[in-house]
Amino acid sequence: MLVALLMCYAGFTALCLSTDRHHGELLHSKPSPRRRLGLRAAGWLLLTVSIWPAVVIAGWGQGLVQWCAVLMLSALLLVLLLPYRPRLAMNLAGIGLLACPVAAVATL
Amino acid sequence: MKEGFRQAMAWLHTWVGLIFGWLLFAIFLTGTLSYFKDEITHWMQPEVQVHGVDDARSLAVAQAYLERQAPTAARWFITLPDSRDPGLSVMWQDKVDPGKRGNFIQKVLDPVSGQPVQVRESMGGEFFYRFHFQLQMPHPWGRWLSTFAAMVMFVALITGIITHKKIFKDFFTFRPRKGQRSWLDGHNAVGVLVLPFHLMITYSSLVIFMSMVMPAPIVASYGDDTRAFFSEVFPATDNAPALGQPGKLLPLGPMYAQARQQWAGGHVGRVAVNNPGDVNASVNVFRAGSDSVVHDFGSIVSFNGTTGEQVRVSGEPSLPAVIGGSFYGLHMGHFAGPVLRWLYFICGLAGTAMIGSGLVIWLGKRQLKHVKSGVMPFELKLVEVLNIASMSGLMIAIAAFFWANRLLPVSVAERSAWEVQVFFIAWGLSLLHAMLRRGRQGWVEQLSVGALLFVAVPLLNAITTSEHLGVSLARGDWAMAGFDLTCLGSGVFLAWAAWKMQRRAALPSKAEGVPSLKLKPEAH
Repeated sequence: MLVALLMCYAGFTALCLSTDRHHGELLHSKPSPRRRLGLRAAGWLLLTVSIWPAVVIAGWGQGLVQWCAVLMLSALLLVLLLPYRPRLAMNLAGIGLLACPVAAVATL
Repeated sequence: MKEGFRQAMAWLHTWVGLIFGWLLFAIFLTGTLSYFKDEITHWMQPEVQVHGVDDARSLAVAQAYLERQAPTAARWFITLPDSRDPGLSVMWQDKVDPGKRGNFIQKVLDPVSGQPVQVRESMGGEFFYRFHFQLQMPHPWGRWLSTFAAMVMFVALITGIITHKKIFKDFFTFRPRKGQRSWLDGHNAVGVLVLPFHLMITYSSLVIFMSMVMPAPIVASYGDDTRAFFSEVFPATDNAPALGQPGKLLPLGPMYAQARQQWAGGHVGRVAVNNPGDVNASVNVFRAGSDSVVHDFGSIVSFNGTTGEQVRVSGEPSLPAVIGGSFYGLHMGHFAGPVLRWLYFICGLAGTAMIGSGLVIWLGKRQLKHVKSGVMPFELKLVEVLNIASMSGLMIAIAAFFWANRLLPVSVAERSAWEVQVFFIAWGLSLLHAMLRRGRQGWVEQLSVGALLFVAVPLLNAITTSEHLGVSLARGDWAMAGFDLTCLGSGVFLAWAAWKMQRRAALPSKAEGVPSLKLKPEAH
């Protein structure tokens, strides 16, 4: 569940940064169209691919339920962190992404 | 989309949300607590000691006890302890005349010594679970009302989605400290982000009560014989009748092992023995609900009790049974391990928060119009009173229920009923208080009382039992420790809410007045 959580959180953060408003708030600049596209693609890719570790570890039934739960709550966590601790919210995504392979090796 | 349509949906969302909001808040909160039903029961019956789970030992102990206490019973039920519920529960039904149902007697045994544990009489988590769909009403009415509330919830969700103009644009938006704007943002955030859960939980509740909500298809296919429908959906095991000759029941352990083998290592939830003292005794081993997401109502391996021969294995469930079972399973979450169970709990809280924030928004928007004159019309006062009593009042009632469990003497007659009484008395008092002390003052006082009651729960537990946090943490009794810590956390949260309210009361114009007037009329 951890790998899926980290991937979902990073994915939502990427999607969040792909919007003009949040990119402006977090990075104080307007994203270039290419960057926006890249972030959006990365975000969707991370969200979709995160099904895989969940299902591999827990099987289809449990895995899909866990993935849904993690998907919802990672987005909730991000949205609650953003107004209060924007730097932390972004850093968490980065750290999570880096920790992803480690967690994957440990659990898969 | 036509604006007229959206406005109509917004109107529907506003009014069904208001009328059923108070009830739905209670249903959601108690339902959320029910995810920890067993843990709550464990805390409320601290006499039951936690031992390492050992099914073979528990089964042998239970069989020995029942053979001693109820050799002539018509039926035994043995529910094995698991990591969530440490008690070994045995139940038996007296032999009675055919056609009449015998009395059930239930005991909780210590799974090691086999002695019955003198537990205090308490409904435990079962109370929240029952209240969640029966609403403490006489039999069919509570279920009808909660099913109707679920339908309204479904309507509110769908109309909410239609009303919300910028689901994707505002997906990540939450702007705190902006009064009414923040409430609306929060309402949208918990609504949209946890929407899959809301839809699942609401729709599945309708599926669970399907036969009540939509009896037409059943009546059409089965005529008046609705029993036939249920016996097809929930296949009963047709066990051999008693012959009237005494027989010797074999040890249940090997049958248990054989059943697990049949399920490729799946777990056993319950063992039922029919006519235990008869030569025609039969043993049914039921699979635990925690094994699979899809709840299977009849995964059973049956044995002949005197020869140990495996008589029957229930077949694979049909496709409709799988679909129905998966809705049931998803709603109940029996399969969820500790982490997933907490995620379920958080999702439930998010749903509760969505309903609560909706109620606050309804009132806040309308109160703004009367800020200048300072006089609130009657209906707004009424909504305010009901908001306070249904939210903070319910918190107080829940805390009072836990307090009653520790403070009512063990010997009081009808003790568990008294615990429930205390719950409703506390809720009633909070309603009274909300009528007397309106507005922010009412909120601040009730939230503070709730905070105090919850924060003190671990202390109360330490004074009245020997299961305080130091003991439970050291022993790894996570259900007990988790309950104390969760109460502490809830208390801190309520205190924070009270503090926020108090502070906002001190500077009302700045926090509420000016910025929120800029609000565009999006949701009503």
